[in-house]
Amino acid sequence: MALAFDEFGRPFIIIKEQEQKSRLRGLDAQKANISAGKSVARILRTSLGPKGMDKMLQSPDGEVTITNDGATILEQMDVDNQIAKLMVELSRSQDYEIGDGTTGVVVMAGALLEQAERLLERGIHPIRIAEGYEMASRIAVEHLEHIAQKFNFDATNVEPLVQTCMTTLSSKIVNRCKRSLAEIAVKAVMAVADLERKDVNLDLIKVEGKVGGKLEDTELIYGIVVDKDMSHPQMPKQIEDAKIAILTCAFEPPKPKTKHKVDIDSVEKFQTLRKQEQKYFDDMVQKCKDVGATLVICQWGFDDEANHLLMHRNLPAVRWVGGVELELIAIATGGRIVPRFQELTPEKLGKAGLVREKSFGTTKDRMLYIEHCANSRAVTIFIRGGNKMMIEETKRSIHDSLCVARNLIRNNSIVYGGGSVEISCSIAVEAAADKYPGVEQYAIRAFADALDSIPMALAENSGLQPIETLSAVKSQQLKENNPYCGIDCNDVGTNDMREQNVFEALIGKQQQIFLATQVVKMILKIDDVISPNVY
Amino acid sequence: MAAMLQPQIILLKEGTDTSQGKAQLVSNINACMAVADVVRTTLGPRGMDKLIHDDKGNTTISNDGATIMKLLDIVHPAAKILVDIAKSQDSEVGDGTTTVVLLAGEFLKEAKPFIEDGVHSQNLIKSYRTASYLAIEKIKELAVSIEGKSLEEKKSLLAKCAATTLSSKLIGGEKEFFASMVVDAVMAIGSDDRLNLIGIKKVPGGNMRDSFLVNGVAFKKTFSYAEKENAEIRLSYPLQYQSIVDAEWNIIYDKLDKCVQSGAKIVLSRLAIGDLATQYFADRDLFCAGRVSEEDLQRVAAATGGTVQTSVNNVIDEVLGSCDLFEERQVGNERFNIFSGCPSGQTATIVLRGGADQFIEEAERSLHDAIMIVRRALKNSTVVAGGGAIDMEISRYLRQHARTIAGKSQLFINSYAKALEVIPRQLCDNAGFDATDVLNKLRQKHALPTGEGALYGVDINTGGIADSFANFVWEPAVVKINAINAATEAACLILSVDETVKNPKSESAQGEAAASAMGRGRGGAAFRGRGRGMGRQ
Repeated sequence: MALAFDEFGRPFIIIKEQEQKSRLRGLDAQKANISAGKSVARILRTSLGPKGMDKMLQSPDGEVTITNDGATILEQMDVDNQIAKLMVELSRSQDYEIGDGTTGVVVMAGALLEQAERLLERGIHPIRIAEGYEMASRIAVEHLEHIAQKFNFDATNVEPLVQTCMTTLSSKIVNRCKRSLAEIAVKAVMAVADLERKDVNLDLIKVEGKVGGKLEDTELIYGIVVDKDMSHPQMPKQIEDAKIAILTCAFEPPKPKTKHKVDIDSVEKFQTLRKQEQKYFDDMVQKCKDVGATLVICQWGFDDEANHLLMHRNLPAVRWVGGVELELIAIATGGRIVPRFQELTPEKLGKAGLVREKSFGTTKDRMLYIEHCANSRAVTIFIRGGNKMMIEETKRSIHDSLCVARNLIRNNSIVYGGGSVEISCSIAVEAAADKYPGVEQYAIRAFADALDSIPMALAENSGLQPIETLSAVKSQQLKENNPYCGIDCNDVGTNDMREQNVFEALIGKQQQIFLATQVVKMILKIDDVISPNVY
Repeated sequence: MAAMLQPQIILLKEGTDTSQGKAQLVSNINACMAVADVVRTTLGPRGMDKLIHDDKGNTTISNDGATIMKLLDIVHPAAKILVDIAKSQDSEVGDGTTTVVLLAGEFLKEAKPFIEDGVHSQNLIKSYRTASYLAIEKIKELAVSIEGKSLEEKKSLLAKCAATTLSSKLIGGEKEFFASMVVDAVMAIGSDDRLNLIGIKKVPGGNMRDSFLVNGVAFKKTFSYAEKENAEIRLSYPLQYQSIVDAEWNIIYDKLDKCVQSGAKIVLSRLAIGDLATQYFADRDLFCAGRVSEEDLQRVAAATGGTVQTSVNNVIDEVLGSCDLFEERQVGNERFNIFSGCPSGQTATIVLRGGADQFIEEAERSLHDAIMIVRRALKNSTVVAGGGAIDMEISRYLRQHARTIAGKSQLFINSYAKALEVIPRQLCDNAGFDATDVLNKLRQKHALPTGEGALYGVDINTGGIADSFANFVWEPAVVKINAINAATEAACLILSVDETVKNPKSESAQGEAAASAMGRGRGGAAFRGRGRGMGRQ
């Protein structure tokens, strides 16, 4: 920050450490902020759409991520600039709320900023631009509702859901088996969905991955898969009609929570202690046996002695199962988590039709499948793939499609993708702009131009002539009065997105427009940036 | 400067920085004006925001005067006074923090030429005090009471006050939506003074329109962890081991049983609820949540009419709270526990949504301002016209009054009146209008002998002037009164300082402490002056 001096040459310090602070004001601040926002958007631009490219990101500790999920890219990029951080958060909140469209929202915000810059250069007050954008966003969202379509599905007919999930998956690396993955995602969501309350708790869907096999081997299990094996190699590998005792207590002598100390001062005492300990183990195993459990799943470990005893009594056991997995198992099998051996009763046991240990390929890796559960409200999607990065990316893609399916269950309105809605909104906003007196009109028009940038990016990424394609589609929309014309990214031969079956959830799109406008308004409103050091 | 030639008498410790006289005064005024310049652009519905980020990497984007002043980390002793008045305005009325800083800066600016011309500052102070007294009397006279209206009417009036406050903020686009939400929240807690009964929860994601008000309590789903007690037992016989373990379990079971027997359906605890207890409650179809924050617990207690228990003994029916509906709902990425339909209904929670963390932070500050305004307006139910109308009217009144005064004071009160015009002027500047043009139109309106123009203020939409009162640009009178009072006080305080003694910055912390102690001294006698004469250009 510049210093002022009085006539004796002494600096005039008002703010602490004034010399070290930098300050940008007025138009300069806005310009700097806009260019920061734009450069973030530029990075993501090429990831948009079915032909979008992936980014490879290496973390400081050498871990490599390959993805085209906007939120993940930005998260891993570790940006430092304040405005760029806002863009990251923008994409993150789209991820939290909707789970899909994280790239689109950033590209949209970038386009809005770009348009705003031009208007600023023409001397329009930034707040008027922001207000114009807000009006335009409202027009666009209303128009979206107008062109949205309801579609019907129920527990038996899930085809529309599958179609929508396929649209989401088509931009991902896994698009080669999008059909099967989409089906898996939809089935999983339907399994845990509460259709009455329109609520889906995604926590109940566990996504587990294992390197090896191929993507097509990915499967949905109506039950739980745990990356654990039986505690003793000789225990049976398959149990039918298992009665599961789910324990959160260890197979060891109970420890009082209060600090304690046992004084052993004679041989007899030692022997009694030893005997007592043995008796504990014995009792515990016996208790499990008594209530009729045929499988013990324990959150904690147990030592070799207990292991041996369990083996001896022919009671298979699994140890070190994580807390979350334990809860899922309890939900799936209808059992209760038992915190203490004394509490074990036959009613608290979970039931599963089949528990089996499965080994993969030539490796020694084994996993435990708990299937045919009494209550299939907890499911697992088990992903196979060639390498770890692939599996991680598949997990993210599956997460996106799960979110899409959830959104549709919450609200079953859809809009057509492929840039068709953006073009249609752009036309609507453009037409509405003329009705507004005042400077805002310019901003509304700019908003319409910004909306065009999404189909433009789509066309660009698909190797089409962006301007030519966009204007062709736009005129087609106007001529045929058909808001469902979009960019034919996959070269199917038709522009009509209804025929291509490219859907997106209405709320996802609305959210994109609202969020992008909101953040752009926030960025435009800043006219003073005070930072601790000079960049 | 003859004194300089004589041998100096050393009175103060070496290195002590003293500056005095007129030059010192002018320098202080310059510093204050510089600070006022920082917040100048945030005023009004077209005001801009500031992005401030500190060494630790925290970023704040704000339009709230008090927040900006606090974050600027001002060290200049005279300028610090402005920070203080912004803070006091914030805690006293909650809004108008930018106004107060701007006014104080403007009063000082008007005083500067007089000081340079050799007017004694005490004369100025005296006139300023008179002027502020007159101004406040005038506000009281002009204020319109909303007392005695029906509840519905009052609600819509209050919503208008809240909307005026919100219009300058980031969430201005949805001001009606938030204004009615704020009014509902304030109405819910009734006359109760405890502001913490209105909870604001922030959930990133979603649109700001997705924000909602819960007539009750909402908080994030909490997690439970196991607990440990600290006591030591010595066992001398291994056989006792089991008995100790059993005893412990029994204590826990006893506690749990008591909870269950009390008939409660939901158990909340500030401390953690262990695995065992969670399961125990789950088995008996009780909902339990541990690690609920103290604030939330208090609010649940207030809402449901329950009492917070420190022991599980003696849980009788009377201490149990009740509510119609308890649900767990997905909000963005979080799951929220929501209690609604509470009998006493003395609490409300606003769940805020928005695109970015900073956005929600700023929305929270804005809502806080709006809540304060509504509460203020509810207590002192008089409002005045905003948009600079009231300032213009006082300005006119003071000018008129000045003409009746003989002597120097006339000039000073005139300059005070001129300073008040800074509010409409700044509103125009920020919106990009021609301030001189608009101001002259306003002066003309206000000068109409019939007084019909008294309510005219800046029309931010068209760049002209309009009847603010009819357009529902309203502010509680107390905001303006407090702002004028505080700004005048601050200006007078700065004008009354003519010497600053600054101790040298010694290496020891002692010197530091002494300096800060002096800084707090009465009347600002310890102001550290920086230079003489015109410093800052």
